[in-house]
Amino acid sequence: MKLSAWVATAFAVTVTFASASTVQAQFTPKRPLEIAVHAGPGSGNDVFARALISVIEKNKLSPVRIQVANKPGGGSTTAAAYLASKAGNENTLGVFTNIWITDPLVSAEATNPLTSMTPVALVIREPGLIAVKADSPYKTLQDFIDAAKAAPGKLSQSGGSVLARENVLRQLLMGATGADWQFISFPSGGERLSALLGGHVNMMIVEPGEATAQVRSGAMRVIAAVAEKRLPGFPDVPTLQEAGFNIPNLPQIRGIVAPPGMPKEAVAYYSDLIRKATETQEWKDYVVENGFEPAFTTPEETSKFITEYTEQLRGILEKAGIKLVAR
Amino acid sequence: MDIINGLAHGFGIALVPQNLLWCFVGCFLGTVVGILPGLGPAATIAILMPLTLNMDPAGGIIMLTGIYYGAKYGGSTTSILLNMPGESSSVVSCIDGYQMARNGRAGAALGIAAIASFIAGTVGIVLLTLVAPAVARFALSFSAPEYFALMAFGLSLVVLLSGASLLKGLLALLVGLWLSTVGIDLFSAQSRFTFGRSELLGGLDFVVIAIGVFAIAEILTTIQHRQEGTLIPVPKGFRNLLPSREELKASRFAFVNGSFTGFIIGVLPGAGSAIASFIAYGIEKAVSKRKELFGKGAPEGLAAPEGANNADTGGALVPLLTLGIPGGGTTAILLSALVLWGIRPGPLMITESPDIFWGLVASMYVGNVVLLLLNLPLVPLFAQLLRVPTWILFPVIFGLSIIGAYSVSERIFDVELLAAFGLLGFLMAKTGFPSAPLILGFVLGDAMERALRQSLMMSQGDLTTFFQRPISLILLIAAFVILLLPLVSWFNRARVRAISEGA
Repeated sequence: MKLSAWVATAFAVTVTFASASTVQAQFTPKRPLEIAVHAGPGSGNDVFARALISVIEKNKLSPVRIQVANKPGGGSTTAAAYLASKAGNENTLGVFTNIWITDPLVSAEATNPLTSMTPVALVIREPGLIAVKADSPYKTLQDFIDAAKAAPGKLSQSGGSVLARENVLRQLLMGATGADWQFISFPSGGERLSALLGGHVNMMIVEPGEATAQVRSGAMRVIAAVAEKRLPGFPDVPTLQEAGFNIPNLPQIRGIVAPPGMPKEAVAYYSDLIRKATETQEWKDYVVENGFEPAFTTPEETSKFITEYTEQLRGILEKAGIKLVAR
Repeated sequence: MDIINGLAHGFGIALVPQNLLWCFVGCFLGTVVGILPGLGPAATIAILMPLTLNMDPAGGIIMLTGIYYGAKYGGSTTSILLNMPGESSSVVSCIDGYQMARNGRAGAALGIAAIASFIAGTVGIVLLTLVAPAVARFALSFSAPEYFALMAFGLSLVVLLSGASLLKGLLALLVGLWLSTVGIDLFSAQSRFTFGRSELLGGLDFVVIAIGVFAIAEILTTIQHRQEGTLIPVPKGFRNLLPSREELKASRFAFVNGSFTGFIIGVLPGAGSAIASFIAYGIEKAVSKRKELFGKGAPEGLAAPEGANNADTGGALVPLLTLGIPGGGTTAILLSALVLWGIRPGPLMITESPDIFWGLVASMYVGNVVLLLLNLPLVPLFAQLLRVPTWILFPVIFGLSIIGAYSVSERIFDVELLAAFGLLGFLMAKTGFPSAPLILGFVLGDAMERALRQSLMMSQGDLTTFFQRPISLILLIAAFVILLLPLVSWFNRARVRAISEGA
């Protein structure tokens, strides 16, 4: 986690609306804005994009209509290719997440890495929670690690693709502790959760929003938080570092990118639009409700973050023995 | 007693004029969405979700859910009339539904579909009301080996879908299985059979394959035979537009089979209604005393899958409402809609949001009646469609197919694929290869391969895991028995031949 990003976030939030007038409004959109999303309707990103749009429209921050364009297929590949095809366009943005970084590292067909796009802003970070079934013998993450050490390969974790953050965190944890457990892929969140609650796997990493209801109903126990500090909704759950695991808290990022070669004035305009949107009360409520962390950054900071994070993830995937594409 | 009080309370909410209106709007939109190929309920709900945020939550969720189960009603319309599945769950309805239409029983087929949808849809909700918590526990007990065995059972049904030549059926099945492996593999993140095309990374789309292999192939075949005038005879007289007593009688067991099969498979996260409809069809044919009629327009061959894909809805809502687990794409969107209203589905939902829970359940009883009343009068209207001469109808189907394929991901590549699969379907029809096994392989292949790999990871490579678990063992034995069916009939034929030659 980059301290500079946090300082910038704090700074951006403290700056009042007055500063909006200091940005020379040289660019104003004349055509509807399209936001490309790499998954189908109802997916996490789709809901995120629609929430952002509804906040912008409610507060009348945009003179033009904004619509979502779903470009599912091949993880982020189809959406990234779509953005690349819109090079120089001033009326298209995309929502990116970690897989925009990892897909091009692994798939030869994914030829549009995030570093080739125009960065606009990071918007939120999603903390993760390490969860076990409520009647599981593991009261702490250390309990789980010890059990995994005692019987290598016997315990298992449910998750999505091997490129997803859940598996990357598993690799880091295994590397740091010498324990060994399986990662079992399921295509949808519902199936991952069923596998845990049915007792077929021993552990999973969930989003705070998902965990809240399951913990309250007594189906799930949360044993560690992948976050910089304890989450407001889970004050008793230690962070990885507090629990004694010295590994980086890989953030799950959601941010906004523009096609390659978008003019500077347009980038400044959209950066400002997103900043205003994230400062509204509705957006703050949405972030709290879902257990996200606000993470707004300027285009320059976003660019720096993407470059550094790409290298970090490349190193971890390489170590995990996943076949990478030589570029 | 709680259930009765709850339902009474729910009907109090569902029957408020305002909510009745929302229920009707949802069912109507669902019917339209179901009829149009390529536009699915999931996308529709996502688009309408923001509009409902200013509504009362009960009304909003009643409407959105109406779209979900309403789409299941409309899906079979184009399957029956044009051999063109509107949703993935209505592919199986093409097999006997379209043949019924070709026999001049289009109206009857539409009627059977509406009745089967109503009966099974309602049974599904009754089961949701009565046994949801117990069934949810059963769903959780299903692990990877059980899923693998279920898919193996599904695949064994190929012997019932192959028609004349089992060998050709098996080959078509293998092609379907192969097609299902295209794209990025979840377990290794490597791409398979993508030939360097980034468009193939996401795998092939079900709707594109089904419309190509069924609708486009059918058009090409008809053109080749140079049929003039209308495609399908339409009987005169209103009586002939309704299912006859014999057709309804023949479908009696299918209504029950579809209801229970659809509900049970619907409960299982990740199984999906397409699988439910295939399995219901297979069971129907396996126990039928008139197997030879299947694939030639047997009403029970339409009623079983059509029922299953409607009962599936009630089943799919069980894990969503009682455990907070969405089992498929549409239920995942319903979950996010509920969350936007601040409602968290799960074990506490009944006590925390009784209005929403019971209001929704009650509205589904109402919605199914609404859908029946909405769909039955449409039967004669739709049946008239077939009076349209082919020189008008074919271009329209072609246009709809292309729009449907394009709208999946809004790209021309899928239209090219549609053409390729249309040609494949045409060649298969010419050479006597059945198309249903290909679709079966494509639908089940993905889930089956995944379940196999998950099972072996969980058991650390121990193959006996499939035989040590009761449900998995029973399903594998059932698959084995079905695979033996052709052998038995072959033996019988051989015996008869031997006796007659000896005589």
